[in-house]
Amino acid sequence: MNEEKRPGGLTALAVINFIFSGWGLIGLIGLAAFFALIGKIPTDNMQEAQKAQIEALQNMGLPVFIIIFLLSLLSSVLLLLSGIGYLKQKKFLGRTIGNIYAVITIISSVVSGILFAPDLGGGFNIMTIVGLIYPVLTLILLNTTFKEDLTN
Amino acid sequence: MNLKTINIAHVRLISLYWSRYAVRSGSGLVYLMIALVFGLSVAHIIIMPVERLMALQKKQIGQENPQLIRKTIIDIGQPIIQFVLGVKSFEQVTKEAASTQMHRQNDTSSTAHSGNNNSAFDPWTNFLIEKKPALLSVIFLILIFGMPFVISFLAFNQISGDVQNHGLRYLLLRTERCNIFFGRFIGTTFFSTAVMAIIVATITFYLGMKVRIYPASDLAIWAVQGFLALAILMVPYIAVCSLISASVDSPFLSLVLAKVVIAGVLLMAILGGFAWKPAKYILYALPWGWQNNLIHPAPAHWLGAVIASLAYTAFFLTLGYIRFETRDL
Repeated sequence: MNEEKRPGGLTALAVINFIFSGWGLIGLIGLAAFFALIGKIPTDNMQEAQKAQIEALQNMGLPVFIIIFLLSLLSSVLLLLSGIGYLKQKKFLGRTIGNIYAVITIISSVVSGILFAPDLGGGFNIMTIVGLIYPVLTLILLNTTFKEDLTN
Repeated sequence: MNLKTINIAHVRLISLYWSRYAVRSGSGLVYLMIALVFGLSVAHIIIMPVERLMALQKKQIGQENPQLIRKTIIDIGQPIIQFVLGVKSFEQVTKEAASTQMHRQNDTSSTAHSGNNNSAFDPWTNFLIEKKPALLSVIFLILIFGMPFVISFLAFNQISGDVQNHGLRYLLLRTERCNIFFGRFIGTTFFSTAVMAIIVATITFYLGMKVRIYPASDLAIWAVQGFLALAILMVPYIAVCSLISASVDSPFLSLVLAKVVIAGVLLMAILGGFAWKPAKYILYALPWGWQNNLIHPAPAHWLGAVIASLAYTAFFLTLGYIRFETRDL
């Protein structure tokens, strides 16, 4: 199948991938800066909820931070690569990498919901479902609607 | 107009194909993403403070008290809903809120005062926040206001894209124009309805399983009513997009025009109303003026809103079809 026959939905999926990947990479810079400064934030005048959140982040520890950082980096890179794969309609770069991204994101959402305290973005709330929309849609669309379009 | 050529089997086939094609073409995918994120984010903004309140309550008194939570929601939601429904003006709402605050500070018997205040609700507000699950009512009101802005992402390209690339000429060898026009309209409506069902089902399921301050049966019944209201509301806006899409050759122009028309009518009515009072009636050029009545307790109101919805749809579809039937492709 040549690139001229690429469906509009696949192009839209690629564009959304690039946007999310860009956000993710910018977020990584913010995450690193936040972790570097978290110990210096004074919590004396904060409300109890904010204080609990900051203290939970301060007590998170370096290994957990590294895991979050690496998972976010991996997710952004996979989004970027699969976006290129969608545009070129590649089977491995598009469909396989796209599926890997979706599965990793779904698993990491579920695991972080179970492992982390609600103050650290853990637990289950509606934003957990919002976070799952795109990976679940990717998984469904790559294996049904666009299955025959990613064959190069 | 040549409605004699309409073929139900063709319309059915085209609508089924179109609703499936919506995701493949991109517009359906973008709409699905925006509608789901918008709908669930609205729900999150409304539900999150309640969840925090529940957590705080559990921390302070050791257990959750759904009745107290429901009462707090009613106290906070009542003036907002009255303003949104147009029952009271912004000045009235702020004045009443200030006087209530003063009464509470002066009068220690706040429960008696609060009881009097509740009984002074108008029937519509009372229905939405006392008789029905208030959280779901607030979410429905916001979705009823916001979803018309989102629907054009799905419905803008029903005809214009195929006019631009002359693709319709090949389709017209096999079927008539009216089948294409109405088939695509029905397909778009079907897709929009399915997305609404997903949003409402997700929010209701979450409220029922996680928040648990309303009985499941109340939630389910109100969810079905709210879903029907949202599904019906989308139909005239899709018809407006059908008219615009059938009138212009460029999908991008169609999207821009749909956005300008849907938001412009609301904006002109609000801004025009400041300068010249009768300008507020511009609101009725589209369903903006009466769409909240779809969740009104009185059958005369909600039935009237449903009939008005169908009348708007018929009007815009007729105009769109006349334009599509007579235009050069």
